Amino acid sequence: MESPIKISTQALCFYYHQQQVLHDISLQLPTNRITAITGPSGSGKSTFLMILNRLWEEIEGCSISGKVTVELDGRLQDINNKALPARVLRRKVGMVFQQPNPLPMSIFKNISFPLRLAHISDKNQTGHAVENALRQVHLWDEVKDRLNDDGRRLSGGQQQRLCLARALVLKPEVLLLDEPTSSLDPEASAAIEELLLALKAQCTLIMVSHYQDQIQRIADLRFEVREGRFISPHTEYKSASDV
Amino acid sequence: MNRPHSLTEYIFLTAAVCSGLLTAAVFIFLLIFSLPLLENGQLTDLLLSSWAPDKGMYGIYPMLMASLTLACLSLSISFPISLGCSFVITALAPARLRRLLLSMVRLMTGIPTVVYSFAALFLLVPLMRNILGQGSGMCILTAAPVLALLIAPTMIIFFVNSFANVPRSATLAVDALGGSEIQKLLYVMIPQAWPGIINGVLLGFGRAMGDTMVSLMLAGNSVSPFNSLTQSARSLTAHIALVMAFDFDSMEFKSIFVCGLFLYIVTALLMLLLRMTTLYFSGKR
Repeated sequence: MESPIKISTQALCFYYHQQQVLHDISLQLPTNRITAITGPSGSGKSTFLMILNRLWEEIEGCSISGKVTVELDGRLQDINNKALPARVLRRKVGMVFQQPNPLPMSIFKNISFPLRLAHISDKNQTGHAVENALRQVHLWDEVKDRLNDDGRRLSGGQQQRLCLARALVLKPEVLLLDEPTSSLDPEASAAIEELLLALKAQCTLIMVSHYQDQIQRIADLRFEVREGRFISPHTEYKSASDV
Repeated sequence: MNRPHSLTEYIFLTAAVCSGLLTAAVFIFLLIFSLPLLENGQLTDLLLSSWAPDKGMYGIYPMLMASLTLACLSLSISFPISLGCSFVITALAPARLRRLLLSMVRLMTGIPTVVYSFAALFLLVPLMRNILGQGSGMCILTAAPVLALLIAPTMIIFFVNSFANVPRSATLAVDALGGSEIQKLLYVMIPQAWPGIINGVLLGFGRAMGDTMVSLMLAGNSVSPFNSLTQSARSLTAHIALVMAFDFDSMEFKSIFVCGLFLYIVTALLMLLLRMTTLYFSGKR
């Protein structure tokens, strides 16, 4: 079944100081699918993700050319249009990093933090949202009795699920995942993979991964990046996870 | 391969032991020279009475209070300003402005205190005299802002370094969640950097307590107990400098060792208290 296009790029180039990191990328990513991006280290995979939520703007010396459009709230939006504030974009395009990065606060506050940033202060609403997010990543039963414990005291796999819950609490339309299982053991990786498969019903997932077997298991599409160029045309996997 | 390693360790160990011994030696030196005034059971007199050497009274109470008041007041002026400056340098200013501001702050740390005091003598003192409408204009309220200016660069550099040590992963997480720079500072950077912030405050307080020139030139040097910030006062350090300038073998002269001893004890106790607080909260985090 063909999915509508969620993200498209046209002649996208990215520069770090004088060095061109990404070259002339034009592609289309479908809605409610898991798109995997693979390639050697330093080829520009993570940079590509950082373009999609404008996180590159936080790094000095970066510049961009070309066009990136994302369908948000039913409207196509040029994400580099300054009329679209980066803060608003990032609440719609969430991100999970390679290393779990819980904030220096309690489990509850870690999850409610994005709500606080979005000025949502209603206690009931926050409580429900936190519980839902933790249930969604299957962490609720493990932490419900110690929500006030420091989030950094959880195990690696739990921390990554916590970060996933934190990214999900604002119900993003796109979720960017930068090697989300590379620092986890096989059991924790399997749990995350299961989650991602479940999540694609509600959002579009773009995932950087080095693991071919993982890509084959969960990805609907695969792109390969080499030296800043997307060299392979997308490959459809006959994934059992098709929606 | 082991020998240079051991030698390096030996050198560092020696340096550490020497610095510890030196600190202890200063305390013992001050204690020994303070004994003539302390051994006659005059400790409470020294702490609670006024300075009137012609009546045999060598109390340092007004000076101790002046030092503490000046240090606390200057710190309360300097702390919010330094924190604000370090926010701007860390997160709000564009790269060029950030570099310029940091260079200026570093330059400020090198300006001798006498320059600040001299400038204030001609600019701030007449202004205070006009505002107060009486006296010379030299008072605690005049010295405190200059002292605040003096300690601010040290604190700013400490704060900026503390913010810079906050893990990039934490700040990037907030960016990715759509947090603003202010939210990043309030919710992540300050909670992460606050042991460094406390150390900066500690250092600032130590500098304010230990500075001589600003209080000597601007606070008025009155040895009478003060009951208002607009009154003239003499700090412990200014007292030591003034007594040393005119005397070398009297009881007045010996009393300055007691002043030194109290400066030492107050600073050491404060450091101990803040270190314990930092350790306690670090353990709880």
